Amino acid sequence: MNKPVEPRLLADSEPARARWQREYREGVAAERAIANVSGIPIAPLYTAADRRPGGDDALGYPGQPDYTRGIYATMHRGRTWTQRQLIGLGTPADYNERLRSILARGATAVSLIPCNSVYRGYDMDSVELELLGTCGVVVNDAEHMDRCLEGVDLAEVSCAMNDPSPFTLLAFMLVAAERRGIDWKAISGTSNQSDYLSHYVANHMFYRLALPGARRVLMDHIGWCRQHVPRWNPMSVVGQHMQQAGATPAEAMAFTLSSAVQNAEDCIARGMDPDEFLPRFTFFFDISLSFFEEVAKFRAGRRIWARLARERLGASDEKSWRFKFHAQTSGVDLTRQQPLNNIARVTAQAMAGIFGGLQSLHTDAYDEAYATPGEVGARIAVATQNILREEAHLTDVIDPLGGSYYVESLTDAMEEKILAIMKTVDDAGGMYKAVESGLVQRTIGASAMRFQERVESGEQVIVGVNKYRSDDDAEHRPPVDRPDREQMQRHRDEFVAAKARRSPSAVAKALDALTRAAESDDGNVFGAVVDGARAGLSNEEICARLRRDLGFGQPLVVV
Amino acid sequence: MSDRGADFRPRVLVTKIGLDGHDRGSRIVAAACRDAGMEVIYTPPWQSIPAVVKLALEEDVDVVGISSLATDHLIVPKLMAALRDAGLGDVRVVVGGIVPDDEERSLLASGVREVFHPGSTMDEITTRIRDYAREARRARADAENET
Amino acid sequence: MSLAERALAGDRRALGRLLTLIDDDAAGAREAAARLGERTGRAWVVGVTGVPGSGKSTLVDALLGLWLAQGHSIAVVAFDPSSPISGGAVLGDRIRMAANAADEKVFVRSFSARGELGGLSRAARAAVDCFDACGFDRIVVETVGTGQSETSIAGLADTRVVVCPPGLGDDVQAIKAGSLEIADIVAVSKGDLPLAERTAREMREMVALRRRQETAWLPAVVVVSALRKTGLDALDAALDAHRDATGTRRRHGEHAPTPAAGAGDRPAPSPALDGDGWRERIAALAARDGLCATLGIAVRGGGPGRAEVAMRVDARHLNFNGGCHGGAIFALADSAFGLASNSHGPLAAGIDAHITFQAGVAAGDTLVARAVEVQRSRRIGVYRIDVVREDAGGETAVSSFTGTVYIRG
Repeated sequence: MNKPVEPRLLADSEPARARWQREYREGVAAERAIANVSGIPIAPLYTAADRRPGGDDALGYPGQPDYTRGIYATMHRGRTWTQRQLIGLGTPADYNERLRSILARGATAVSLIPCNSVYRGYDMDSVELELLGTCGVVVNDAEHMDRCLEGVDLAEVSCAMNDPSPFTLLAFMLVAAERRGIDWKAISGTSNQSDYLSHYVANHMFYRLALPGARRVLMDHIGWCRQHVPRWNPMSVVGQHMQQAGATPAEAMAFTLSSAVQNAEDCIARGMDPDEFLPRFTFFFDISLSFFEEVAKFRAGRRIWARLARERLGASDEKSWRFKFHAQTSGVDLTRQQPLNNIARVTAQAMAGIFGGLQSLHTDAYDEAYATPGEVGARIAVATQNILREEAHLTDVIDPLGGSYYVESLTDAMEEKILAIMKTVDDAGGMYKAVESGLVQRTIGASAMRFQERVESGEQVIVGVNKYRSDDDAEHRPPVDRPDREQMQRHRDEFVAAKARRSPSAVAKALDALTRAAESDDGNVFGAVVDGARAGLSNEEICARLRRDLGFGQPLVVV
Repeated sequence: MSDRGADFRPRVLVTKIGLDGHDRGSRIVAAACRDAGMEVIYTPPWQSIPAVVKLALEEDVDVVGISSLATDHLIVPKLMAALRDAGLGDVRVVVGGIVPDDEERSLLASGVREVFHPGSTMDEITTRIRDYAREARRARADAENET
Repeated sequence: MSLAERALAGDRRALGRLLTLIDDDAAGAREAAARLGERTGRAWVVGVTGVPGSGKSTLVDALLGLWLAQGHSIAVVAFDPSSPISGGAVLGDRIRMAANAADEKVFVRSFSARGELGGLSRAARAAVDCFDACGFDRIVVETVGTGQSETSIAGLADTRVVVCPPGLGDDVQAIKAGSLEIADIVAVSKGDLPLAERTAREMREMVALRRRQETAWLPAVVVVSALRKTGLDALDAALDAHRDATGTRRRHGEHAPTPAAGAGDRPAPSPALDGDGWRERIAALAARDGLCATLGIAVRGGGPGRAEVAMRVDARHLNFNGGCHGGAIFALADSAFGLASNSHGPLAAGIDAHITFQAGVAAGDTLVARAVEVQRSRRIGVYRIDVVREDAGGETAVSSFTGTVYIRG
């Protein structure tokens, strides 16, 4: 670890450089080789000599291809990022209360996280009561969704549904909107968890339908939304799960871009024109504490995507080349020990995302590592964003780190690394085949292992955990708030009663329509899901039927 | 590795019950146990309690390791009772992940041998698991010698 | 009641415990295994092998569903290789059978290779006998199948299924050569994919080319889709047909298939094995062997088509470098080969043999060679011999030997 390193030779003024090198060598007792998480070596100093010849000219302007400095000319000076805090807890009433207070404090968009039971495709009467509503809101049908979004103008506020295939939550929301008389053409938002490939690889809870079935439903979803909810982003390509599972930043970006290519190629194979669907592709990333690496990751990603969209996917509209992304501060970086430290962590992560040019941001609460955020934590998380923007003035300049010798050099290096990893996916036959065979999972597992080893050896410090362990600070780790059991029981009882009031023949008819869509080559499964939601079908009923017809999702587990 | 061929090869089940699906930690623990010479049955998340009990019985595991990052540990006491009912009271159960302090106490009271918090090293975890496996085998041998 | 008695009486916990004791070769295990060995012969053992990603476990899961509906009780021996470095293993096959593994008429047990070459451990063989004795009427032995190891399940199974994913037909020479040698049934998985039918056609052509003259059975090729639930009935029918044609006697070494007299007329199960009787026959053969005497090769055990011999390396066996002479190792393996192939009675003469050496052997080491019968027809027999070195805590793989005999008489 502490081996002597020759500082790199620099090409500018000889005496100045030589002097710096000498003083540096004298001043640093034992030089050690440093590499970032993605494995790129990091030097102690970067100068103009580290820039590619003509690099600055190639950098371009924000809003112009290849968008290294930002996808819009105005970036955050024109329109600030969307403060999209993910919320979910308890019953629809609990959710609605929290949602309204967050909106009052400046959040500008809605995001909904359902209970884990919903992710697994179960209704609340199939699951132990004590597990309900602890990690998200229990929404099982359109009526629950309506209650969640009470008082929210769906024509004005953008809604992100954390909703994996077959997208029942969006179906419930559309039905609720319809009942309120709102035109679907006015609705905007994102299917935040439409990336079945990332679920297969790294977040198995979201993985419900077998791989081929999930692929089919996604294509149907994209096609249907384009026609009926044109302002909705049906495709969010997710890098967050993979990075949370241990992928390095370069791997996460590479695999995400490869997924995007796979999904785009699937759409093209379905007869869609890239310029029709690509403008509605968005991305969802993790932001870790490796500050500069994250900034470089996002800038490189933007550049690569613009080229891919144009050259590989054949898109000619500039809107198709723009890399739009939502980012969330990384939860695995947060600690249970000395929890208030997490506020500092989230601040650094958020800054990296802002300098990276995100379009939408969720900041974790300091207690998010071990619970769904409490009131105080949620408030601080939103205030953090406001402070960075309005007190620290981080957004007064577009791409303020642009031109930095280090950041530009690192952006180039990350680009190279990302492209190399994407090549291994291409060699494996594309992202679908790569995840089917386990290549991606093995790569991520190896990186996760390496990180664990670095933490255990002390090479990677985690304050309060493997260093600076003065005090566990348990009192700032308050007992976790569990949802009120009685309230949940009532919610469940009402739901069961409501199900019983439906006409059995209407239910059967709606389920059969799902089956017909699934079994036909040209039926639209998501369209049938929306119809089913309208007919009063529940989340489990829809998921169970589609699992029967399209296969139950068993991810490939690679240890 | 020095442990190999020592006295025995522990059989360990690493699993997640309940609903959560984040399994980065459990996969790392499973790999660490394998590298420490153990035989690991590794399952994906969302196993039901009856399935875990049946698996523990058929595979004759020494230790069951439950990974819980959200709230799935809340049903571990149910698992403890189910194991006892199936005659598997000698199987040792450990929990790893995110467990609030007060809930840790009730887990231990229900019979869980230890709760590993984030920051525990793989060495610590595999060493303790091996100790618990030895405990389980001794308890079993004692019970069988009495019949 | 002892564990064995409780297991025989239907106590699943006792059966699980017994399997561990046998796997660990604990005190009393061999005796318990012998007691169970007296009760074997009723179960039908189906071996299923396929490379990772072939869809093997999904297929086994589908078969479980089918057989449960038919009222059978099924045990699954799921096999994974262990790490050669740590000796540990992650046993992950059973997760793909989750739904059916929960049924009370199913028992799934996972095993690791424990460093034995040829892929299947001694304990897995004993486990099959245990399950047989405890009343499971069907036993599935599932192996990873990486080219070499699946040939060893041949000795263990009555009916052998090789699972082949679509598209791999093109690279068949490299990967499948070994497994197609042993397949009674080739199941092309993922039948919903476009390439499946073509792969099946290619497989049928290959199977026809490899036709073994002396058996009545021509390997069947079936296309199965677990997703669409198609082809399962055809697979089941092919399995039944093979069983009716050859019975459950291959596992026990007798290889004279009787044609089925009628649809419901199944061959009687073979009589219980007499473990000691076979050993005596093999020992008698070894006693006549001049080279065994010269080199100090002793018989440790055997059975029909099986033999185990041992040798302690001393000055006689060393080469000019001071290590054990390769010829001595060859002689040990060849002895096991000869004994195993002649154990049935008819004279078998070696016509081809091949050996690989994996680890160094020194004076003072004790080497053990174990021969198993991979395949045997009326005229030709193929055997696989693994040579290991006994160490303080276990065994180290030393050498791998395959041989072919021509059977006279």
